[in-house]
Amino acid sequence: MIGPILSVRDLRTSFFSQRGEVQAVRGVSFDVAPAEMLGIVGESGSGKSITCMSILRLLKANGRIKSGEALFDGRDLFKLDEDEMRDLRGNDIAVIFQDPMTSLNPTLTVGEQVIETILRHRRLTRAQARQRAIELFELVRIPSATARLKSYPHEFSGGMRQRVMIAMALSCDPKLLIADEPTTALDVTIQRQILMLLKELQTRLGMAVILITHDLGVIAEVTDHIVVMYGGMVMEQGNVRDLFARPRHPYTQGLLAAVPDLRDDTHHRLTPIPGSPPDMAHPPEGCPFAPRCPHTMQQCVAAMPPLFDGARCWLQHPEAPRVAGVNELEPA
Amino acid sequence: MSEETIAPAMWEKLDRSAAETEVIATPSLTYWQDVRKRLWANKPAVVSIGFIVLLILAAIFGPIFSPFSYSDQNLKLANLPPVFEPYRVTDSSGTSTRFFLNASNFNLYQVSEGGQVEEIIRGERKDMLKKRQGFKFGDQAVTLDYSSLPAKLLNADGSVLRPEGLQWNMTYLFGTDQLGRDVLVRQMIGARISLTVAFVATLVNFFIGIFYGGIAGYMGGKTDAVMMRIVEIISTIPLTLYVILLMVVLDSGLISIVVAIGSVFWVDMARMVRGQILMLKSQDYVAAARTMGAGTGRILTKHLLPNSVGPILVTLTMLIPSAIFIESFMSFIGLGVTPPLASWGTLTSEAVETLRAYPHQLFFPAAAISLTMFAFNFLGDGLRDALDPRLRK
Amino acid sequence: MATYVIQRLGLMLLTLFAIVTLTFFLMHAVPGGPFVSERMLAPEIEAALNAKFGLSDPIWLQYLHYLRGIAMFDLGPSFKYPGVSVNQMIADGLPVTLRLGLLAVICVIALGVPMGIVAALNRNKWPDTGVMLLATMGVAIPSYVIATVLLYVFALKLGWVPTFGLDDWRGYILPVLALAGFWISFVARLSRSSLLETFEQDYMTTARAKGLRPGQVLFKHGLRNSLIPVVTVLGPVVANLVTGSFVIEQIFALPGIGRHFVLSITNRDYTAIMGITIFYAALLMVMILIVDLLYLWLDPRIKLSRQSA
Ligand SMILES: Nc1ncnc2c1ncn2[C@@H]1O[C@H](COP(=O)(O)OP(=O)(O)OP(=O)(O)O)[C@@H](O)[C@H]1O
Ligand code: SF4
Ligand SMILES: [Mg+2]
Repeated sequence: MIGPILSVRDLRTSFFSQRGEVQAVRGVSFDVAPAEMLGIVGESGSGKSITCMSILRLLKANGRIKSGEALFDGRDLFKLDEDEMRDLRGNDIAVIFQDPMTSLNPTLTVGEQVIETILRHRRLTRAQARQRAIELFELVRIPSATARLKSYPHEFSGGMRQRVMIAMALSCDPKLLIADEPTTALDVTIQRQILMLLKELQTRLGMAVILITHDLGVIAEVTDHIVVMYGGMVMEQGNVRDLFARPRHPYTQGLLAAVPDLRDDTHHRLTPIPGSPPDMAHPPEGCPFAPRCPHTMQQCVAAMPPLFDGARCWLQHPEAPRVAGVNELEPA
Repeated sequence: MSEETIAPAMWEKLDRSAAETEVIATPSLTYWQDVRKRLWANKPAVVSIGFIVLLILAAIFGPIFSPFSYSDQNLKLANLPPVFEPYRVTDSSGTSTRFFLNASNFNLYQVSEGGQVEEIIRGERKDMLKKRQGFKFGDQAVTLDYSSLPAKLLNADGSVLRPEGLQWNMTYLFGTDQLGRDVLVRQMIGARISLTVAFVATLVNFFIGIFYGGIAGYMGGKTDAVMMRIVEIISTIPLTLYVILLMVVLDSGLISIVVAIGSVFWVDMARMVRGQILMLKSQDYVAAARTMGAGTGRILTKHLLPNSVGPILVTLTMLIPSAIFIESFMSFIGLGVTPPLASWGTLTSEAVETLRAYPHQLFFPAAAISLTMFAFNFLGDGLRDALDPRLRK
Repeated sequence: MATYVIQRLGLMLLTLFAIVTLTFFLMHAVPGGPFVSERMLAPEIEAALNAKFGLSDPIWLQYLHYLRGIAMFDLGPSFKYPGVSVNQMIADGLPVTLRLGLLAVICVIALGVPMGIVAALNRNKWPDTGVMLLATMGVAIPSYVIATVLLYVFALKLGWVPTFGLDDWRGYILPVLALAGFWISFVARLSRSSLLETFEQDYMTTARAKGLRPGQVLFKHGLRNSLIPVVTVLGPVVANLVTGSFVIEQIFALPGIGRHFVLSITNRDYTAIMGITIFYAALLMVMILIVDLLYLWLDPRIKLSRQSA
C-alpha cells in the first residue's frame, strides 16, 4: 500500500474581520490516496472551500492558517516558501472553481489563459504550448478546438466554459485536482456530463481528485472516500459504500434522510436539516451540531466529541446509551 | 480515542427548552434601521451632516442677525483684514489711541479696546517720493514708512513702533471686501444663493429624471428604445456648454441659473431610475400586483419607486455638489448671479481680482466651497456604503 | 467593428445636427442677437452678417444658410470685431488649448492610474491614506480655487514659475496641474476602487491558482480589467478638461480658445459663442468616439452585445 498523496493534519484557519476571529476551519484531518477521488460534503459555510484554499495557500488577505500541516508528496505545503508554492500551483495541484463564468478572465481569450499556464510551468515554445492547448481542448471534448482557442469566455456556454477550466487545470498533468463544486452553477443536464468527464479523466490520467459538492447523489456515484464537514470540522469520514450503508453520525443521517432514493437517476440537493449552522465567530464549545441534533445529551454541549473511528459523535462512545437507528448493535 | 470515563449523568438527554432560551434572539433590524446604524458609524459622513446642517442654518438665519447687509458699502473701510495687529500711541495728555495698519494699502484704522473698527485715520500729505506719511495723535507724531516692505511705523525719534499682538476684527469678523462690504454676511448670502441653486436645480433634475426614466423603464419596448436613444444623444452633448449658452440667452440671474442647471443634468438620474425599474419589473411582486389589478401609476409609485429610494438618494447627494460646482463655475466666468448679489463663485472671482494685494480674501470663499464639496462627497460616499454594504471598499 | 464605427459616426452627425439646431434657435431667441435686424452694429459687421445669413430672409432660410456654412466648416463672421471670422478666432486659440488639453490628459493617465495602483496595493497603509487624502482634496476643491492657490503660492509668493504666459515650459506646469487636478484625483480614486474590486474577482484567484507570478497576476489579469471603468470615464474627462480650460486660460491669461470663449461671452459676441460651442461639441464627440473605440478594444465582451443590438 502506497502512502497518501496529500495528508492534511489538524488544519485550523481563521479570518480576522470586524466581527473578530471567524474560525472557518477548526482542526480538519484527512488523507487523499493517489488516483482516488475524495468527496467533501457539507452545508454551505461548513468550511469546505476554505479547507481547500488553505491547502493551496490562496486565502483572502484577512485569512490565516493557524496551525496544522498539509503533506503533499512528503513535503509540508505550509512550510514551503512562496516561490516553491507558486511552482506547485497549477502544476502539481490544480483547481477548478464553482462558477466558470467568473473564474475565467473575460478580457483574455481562453487559448491565452490555457497557454499562459503551460508556459508558466513547462519549458515550451509558444507554438508547442498552443499545440498542447489544442490537445487539451480535444481531451475535454470542446468541438473545433483549434478555432475555439481564439474565443473569449463569454462566447462559450456554461458547460463549455467549465470544460475550458478543466483543460486549464489539466494542462500540466497535476497529481491532485481540487474541484470546488464544479457543477453547481451549471444546468442540470450539463452537470452530469461534466461530472462524468471528470471521473473519466481522473481514471484515465490517474490523478487524485478532491471533489467538493452539495450533491450526495454525485458523491455516491463517483467518489471512493468521503468527508462530511460541519461547523469547520470533520463530522464523519470513511469509505463511501460503508458510510452510505451505515451512517453513524446524526448529521450524516440527517443528510441522507433528506435524499429519498440514491439509486434513481435524478440528483438531489441537500434538503436542509431544520435549524441553522453555528456562528463561526463564536463556535460552541461542545458538539457544533448539538442545537440541531435529535439526540443531544448533556455531554454533547459540555465537551467536543472526539473522532470515534471516523465519526465525531458522543453516541459512538462505548458507554453511551444505545439509540435506535444510530448506534444500536448491528442486527444479526 | 479518548476512553476516560464519563459521569453517567452526562448521558442524560439535554433539556432542549433550557438550551433554547439561552439563545437570546438578537433583535433583527429593518433595512432602514440598519442603514441608519451604518451611516452613524461613518465618522466623516456624520461630521459632514453636521457641517451641512450648520451651513444651512447660517445661510438661512445668518444674514437676518447680521448688523450689515450684503450690499452695504463703506469704501472708507474697504479691504479690512479679519485679524490685525493693533498699535497704541499715548500723547502727553494721557489720551491713548489704538489703531492698526493695513499693510497692503498703508491706511491706519482706529480700533477700540475690544477690537471694534472705528474709523480710518487721516494723516498728513503722503510724501510720494520718500514713500512716507506722517500721522498726528495729539502731540505725538508717528511716521509710516513704506519705502521698504513690510511697511513700518516710526516714532518721532525714529524708533520702530511695536504692535500689541494679534487681535480679531470684532466689527467685521471676516474682514471687508474691496467695496467695504462685510465679508461674513456676503459669505452667508453666498451660501444661501449657492445652496438654493444647488438644491432647487437638483430637485428639478430629480423630477425630470424620475419622470423620464420612470416612463422609459416602465413602458419598455419601443418607447423605451426611442427615449433611451434621445438620452444617449443628450449625454454626448457637452452639457456645461449648454448651460453657458442658456445663460447667455436667459441673461444672468438667479432664476436663469436654476433653469439652466436644472434642465440639463437629469440624464444620469433618468438612466438610473430606468435601470432600477427594469430590474424590479422582473421581480415577482410587481407581477403579483399587476395580476391583482393595480394600475400603472399605482405600481409605479407604490411598488417601484420605494424600492429605488436608496440609489436615487445617492445619485441626489452626488448631484448637489456638481450643481454647486457648476453654479460657482458659471458665476466665476461672469454668467451667474449679478452683483451685488453674491454666490461662492462671484465671491471667489472677486477675491481673485484682489489676489495680489489681499490674498487673504480668497480664503473664505475658497474654504466655504471646498468644505461644502467635501461634506457632500463624504455624505454621498457614506450613504452609498450604508445603503449597500457590499459596495464597501 | 466597421458597422459599429459607421453607426457611431451616424449618431455623432445626428447629435451634431441637434446641437447646431439647438444653438441656432437659442441664439435666435436672444434679443439683440445676431439674427434680428433692430440693433446697433458697426456697418461692416452688419454687412458681413447680412451677406452670410441674409438677415431679412425668413428664419428657416437663415437656418439653412447657417447649416450650409457649418457643412463647409465656416462659422461666420464675428459679431463684435469687424473683419474677423470665428474660424480665425478658433485657429488662433487652438494650438494653446490643444497643447494644454493634451498635457492634461497625459497627466491624468500618467499620474492618476499609478496613484490608484499604489493605493490599492498598499490598501489601508500609509501610501493608500496619503493618496486618498490628496485625491479627496482634488475631487472636492474646484479647479479655479486650485488654480488661484497654485498661482498665488508658486508664482506670486515663491516666484518659481511665471504668473502668466507660455514663453517657457514652466509656464505650462500650473495651468496643466490646475486643469488636470480634479481628474487626476478622480482617476486615482476610480482605479483604486476598480483594482480592489478586480482583486476580489474569481478569475484573479484562478490566475494565482495557476501559479502565475504576482507581476503577471497584477498586470496581465488585474490591470486590464480594472482599467475598463477608467477608460469609460476618459470621454467625460476630455469633455470636462475642455470646459475647465475656460477658467484656467482666464486665470493664467493664456491665449487659448477658452479665453476667446469667455471673452465672447462678456462681449456678447454671439456668433463667436455659437461657433465656438459647435466647434467644442464636434471636438468632444470625436474624442469620445476615440475613447469608445479604445474601450471596445479593451473589453471584448462589448463587441458581441453591441453588434447584435
Ligand atoms: N474572507 C472571509 N472573511 C471572513 N469569513 C470568511 C471569509 N471567507 C469565508 N469565511 C467564512 O468561513 C466559513 C467557511 O466558508 P467556506 O467558503 O469554506 O464554506 P463552504 O463550505 O465552501 O460553503 P459553500 O458550500 O457555500 O461553498 C464561512 O462561515 C464563511 O463565513
Ligand atoms: S455529539 Fe451529541 S449532539 Fe453531536 S451529533 Fe452526536 S449526539 Fe448529536
Ligand atoms: Mg464553497
